[in-house]
Amino acid sequence: MRPEDTAPRAVLDCGEVRTCLLPAGQALDSRAAAQLLRLRADERVLVSERPNVYGRSPDVLTGVDCPLPSSNGARVRAVGTVAARAALTEGRVLQTSAHFRVTATGPDHRRPWGHYLVRPAVVEPFGRLPRDAVAEGLLGGGRHGDLDVGLIAAGLQTRLLRHPLLDQRPPLRSRPTRLRWVAVPARDGDGPSLERFTLAEDELRTVRLRVPEGTASADVAALCDDLALHDWLLTTLVRILDGIRLGPGLPGPRRRPAAADDLPVVVGALRPAVDHLLHLWMPRARVPGHLAPLWDVLEDEPGFTRQWLALVQRVRDQLTLHAIPSARREVEPTP
Amino acid sequence: MLVFAASDKGGTGRSVTSANLAYQRALTGDHVAYVDFDFGSPTAAAVFDVPSAMRGTEEQGLHSYLEGEVTEPAGIDIWRQTEHPVLRARQNQSGRLVLYPGDVGGGEFATGEDALERCIDLFLRLHGEFDLVVVDLSAGRSYAVDLVLAATAHPRMRNVPYRWLVFHRWTHQHVIAAAGLVHKENGIVRSGVDRGHDEETLQGNIRFVRAAVPDPESPLWSQVSHAQEAWMQACNKALRRLAADQRIGDSVVLGTVPLEPILQWREQLITEDDVLSTQIANKETLEALEEIARRLTDDSHWGRP
Ligand SMILES: Nc1ncnc2c1ncn2[C@@H]1O[C@H](COP(=O)(O)OP(=O)(O)OP(=O)(O)O)[C@@H](O)[C@H]1O
Ligand SMILES: [Mg+2]
Repeated sequence: MRPEDTAPRAVLDCGEVRTCLLPAGQALDSRAAAQLLRLRADERVLVSERPNVYGRSPDVLTGVDCPLPSSNGARVRAVGTVAARAALTEGRVLQTSAHFRVTATGPDHRRPWGHYLVRPAVVEPFGRLPRDAVAEGLLGGGRHGDLDVGLIAAGLQTRLLRHPLLDQRPPLRSRPTRLRWVAVPARDGDGPSLERFTLAEDELRTVRLRVPEGTASADVAALCDDLALHDWLLTTLVRILDGIRLGPGLPGPRRRPAAADDLPVVVGALRPAVDHLLHLWMPRARVPGHLAPLWDVLEDEPGFTRQWLALVQRVRDQLTLHAIPSARREVEPTP
Repeated sequence: MLVFAASDKGGTGRSVTSANLAYQRALTGDHVAYVDFDFGSPTAAAVFDVPSAMRGTEEQGLHSYLEGEVTEPAGIDIWRQTEHPVLRARQNQSGRLVLYPGDVGGGEFATGEDALERCIDLFLRLHGEFDLVVVDLSAGRSYAVDLVLAATAHPRMRNVPYRWLVFHRWTHQHVIAAAGLVHKENGIVRSGVDRGHDEETLQGNIRFVRAAVPDPESPLWSQVSHAQEAWMQACNKALRRLAADQRIGDSVVLGTVPLEPILQWREQLITEDDVLSTQIANKETLEALEEIARRLTDDSHWGRP
């Protein structure tokens, strides 16, 4: 009998994804990516080249025995394992994520570890799980000592960022983001739905999903990796464009005076985006088919791809404009 | 780029000046982090006017981070969290300005291999996010100085540019002390070399800032007698000779900040408003800070003199 058959119903999936630019001057090729992502000697790294170059580490499990966070102060102890893994898209964007699934009920004591080890990424509560309070608690972040998937994802990120393959020469300034998610079962017969996508703080996004019973936890995690990747790309490109002064001349009073020709400033800021980011946009590339409709929601509102395309167009327009010799640009009327 | 702010003695103006340099760079559009490795000193909260924001960071400051208790140290977004009215109206096109405070009441650092690795993780992360990272170190030959010397000598940091600013006042004792901090037997250069730094390179990356220097020409002293003026001029000359003898002469000075009356009264940022509208601060002070801020990344002021 397979372990899942005996397992009680799963009622909650939860995870966190950390996304950052790989701090290396050049994107890693597939071989180097495989080297970076080899977290375990006994398991292979998944490398795929279609529809984009993507590498994913084997899962590493962390045993946990601690309270689950909850929004109503209930402290439910839970025991099991959390799965974590790292992924690298086009040798450029590094993501580490951790996730687990909580069962509806569990025994009032800790079982032998062997029991948990054959159920990777499953955590069992002591007694009944107060699902909604725990789901909210997980999204809101718990107290010190509560189960924290973010910590596990962060630990893995730190470990990878120390890898000697990385020369620590990021081609552009950027900020890492975190995306924390929970998924609860959809109502009978309903398809998957995205209930909430919030920009909680500068760097934190929270996502609340409903998925049909029987949806694999790893599939939900893959969807959230994909959301996090594209949210990071969008955020990063917005910030690059936000940071440059466009238009001709007229430096602000305190701006460092640019060289006689301000061309290198704008081009210098936008070039790295062209070299390293613009080709990475590929929503749903790694999302299992049955969850792909969740992306449509974000495409409608706020319109991820629409915004991305508008930004890309701005980058291209600026670069085209600056490719025209400045002597001719000067005859443009200044506002 | 990382910029380490050091001084031999306390009370030299290191924290206030380096915070002003960070502020000036952020105004020009750079993303700037101000990292308070001078634990236990509450200056940063006062200078950036973020007393209440600091209260939220008690157990998540740099101490806790280096000791491994939190995975990320708390950061305070100055434009958003300051109580200073001029700073709140963040100037259009300015870059981010983020303060990373120490833990309140944290005392000295955790040392050891783990703290060093975490320190390097932090510097690398900030290097990826910010154009300029100003690190305020505690006065004298502290653990903080050793820690950052070891961090910058580490192979993981080989591609991260760093520079040192050594602050001192313009008196006989301060000149000798500042020179000692850099050049003496257990000074920054020797300790750096012991940790694997190349002596020439390290020396080329150290510059001095003379802080709170009275300018005999300034209107502040226009009332003094001839005898007093002559005495001040002679003193100034003798100090310049002493500094040169001590190998901290003009060729390795990045700049001089004049004695500023409002800074004698209060630790604060000097804003354009203070000079132009309320006129409580001297134009020369602001200009000196702007110029030193600019020179931080102007290569012609660095390297072997
Ligand atoms: N240019 C200046 N003119 C007059 N006073 C100044 C000037 N710069 C700094 N000060 C004042 O000198 C005092 C000491 O400055 P600050 O706290 O920056 O020194 P510090 O070297 O960081 O000291 P500590 O080692 O105690 O941290 C403060 O009151 C500060 O406002
Ligand atoms: Mg200080």
